[in-house]
Amino acid sequence: MIRRALAWTMSSLLVLPLVMLVLLSLARHWTWPALLPTQLQARQWQDLIADSSTLGPVVLRSLGMGIGVAMLATALGFVSSRSVARHPRQGQLLVLLHLPFAVSPVVLGVSLLYTFLRLHLAGHIAGVMLAHLVFAYAYAVILLSGFWNPQVQSLVELGISLGARRRQVWLQVLMPLARPLLLVCLFQTFLISWFDYALTLLIGDSQVATLTVTLYQYFSSGDIRLAATCALLLLAPPLLALGINHRLLSATVATRLEAHSD
Amino acid sequence: MTDSLAPILRVEDIDVRLGGQLILREVSFTVAAHTTLAVIGASGCGKTTLLRTIAGLIVAERGRVLLGSENVDSLAPNRRGIVYLNQEPLLFPHLNLFENVAFGLRLRRVVDAEIRERVEKIISQLELDGLELRHPQALSGGQRQRVAFGRALAVDPVLLLLDEPFSNLDADTRTSMQDLFKRLALERGTTALFVTHDLKESLRVGDSFAMIRAGRVHTYKDLHTFCVDPANGVDREAAFWQFFAKGARELPLSDGSGT
Repeated sequence: MIRRALAWTMSSLLVLPLVMLVLLSLARHWTWPALLPTQLQARQWQDLIADSSTLGPVVLRSLGMGIGVAMLATALGFVSSRSVARHPRQGQLLVLLHLPFAVSPVVLGVSLLYTFLRLHLAGHIAGVMLAHLVFAYAYAVILLSGFWNPQVQSLVELGISLGARRRQVWLQVLMPLARPLLLVCLFQTFLISWFDYALTLLIGDSQVATLTVTLYQYFSSGDIRLAATCALLLLAPPLLALGINHRLLSATVATRLEAHSD
Repeated sequence: MTDSLAPILRVEDIDVRLGGQLILREVSFTVAAHTTLAVIGASGCGKTTLLRTIAGLIVAERGRVLLGSENVDSLAPNRRGIVYLNQEPLLFPHLNLFENVAFGLRLRRVVDAEIRERVEKIISQLELDGLELRHPQALSGGQRQRVAFGRALAVDPVLLLLDEPFSNLDADTRTSMQDLFKRLALERGTTALFVTHDLKESLRVGDSFAMIRAGRVHTYKDLHTFCVDPANGVDREAAFWQFFAKGARELPLSDGSGT
């Protein structure tokens, strides 16, 4: 009974904010003490669609930056994590990699801004992506360094013993073994870039508009309903990616369970 | 056809040091073509180090390894034609049984029809028919070790190195695996180096015999000289069974000397 109540509470805490956003995005009149909007309208969505000439490129830019950062961070992180896992000072290196998360993105952003201004990277998409990559890369290395265990090393040696060249070891042994972890890493590093606000604003120098930055602009202009509508748009790709990730991982588990039941 | 008396493997005067400690010292021996050299030794005596050195996974401090007449010290492990079979039945978890056996052939870009023919033959020889689509998680320990063995044989290695491959199996499965190994090694003319700590296993699988002790390898010229050497424990094993054969019900405690 208690377990069920806890499950309901947890589910409600996760779902309620989303329901609130949906209601806000459709509300016309919603005043205290009404529990639900008294009148609904689709105007916020119509405004957002009408503004598609502005918002469309913003969404595409955010998606492109997120996917680019995720792919770069995961690929570089996978290769680097191997060196970190084998390094005699692995513990110290992992502590260093946690540093970006120990300081506020704003603090890191200020220090990066000085360098990026000199390199003429501030105010450019490449500069913002590079700043995102600082966090995403560190995250990827930390996440993927756990992959390199003795069992994986034994499978690599087995592959070599059976005739695998360096490239074949990566493509036919390591990548398939790491596939679930790489998918998680891609997803998480995408989210780091997709939801970032402070670094984008600082390094982008208000020149690089992403969906998260646009959402804050709507919010600060006082249009809470349009902000809620934009927030739903912001949530769509992560929810979609989460669904795909869940489906892929479930398929892997199902294959294994099926194999067991044979 | 290779001369069956000519050595395929020649290990000459090898020293191996790991972590500052000399693990193998002045190791020299040969393995004749199409035969199995059984190397017996206690845990931690350097058996695995010996196999990993021959496979090229560890670099020797001194000495050389020859395959046929070629010095393979400078060859990368993947180019030696030596397959190393681990103590654990290591299978690729993302591949089913068929693809695990076919793994080495796919690396060599063998055409699909030939892969199918060779793999199906090996699966049949290993009595694993009907399990081709199963993943490693759905196989028993004995089945997994058979798959690992079949995968090693599929690429027709110049030399097969077996590192106590059946030590984790129950007694009955181990015996049947030893028989299977012997049968297939004979059928396929495999040259193998089989290390074990189990005396009976070494006698069952070996054509020639060696003992490794404190990093040194001692080879025997035939089965008789192997059996009469008190160092390898054949006499102790025989005495053990004779003791019970005489009707004794209780085993006296060992004096701890190991003799």
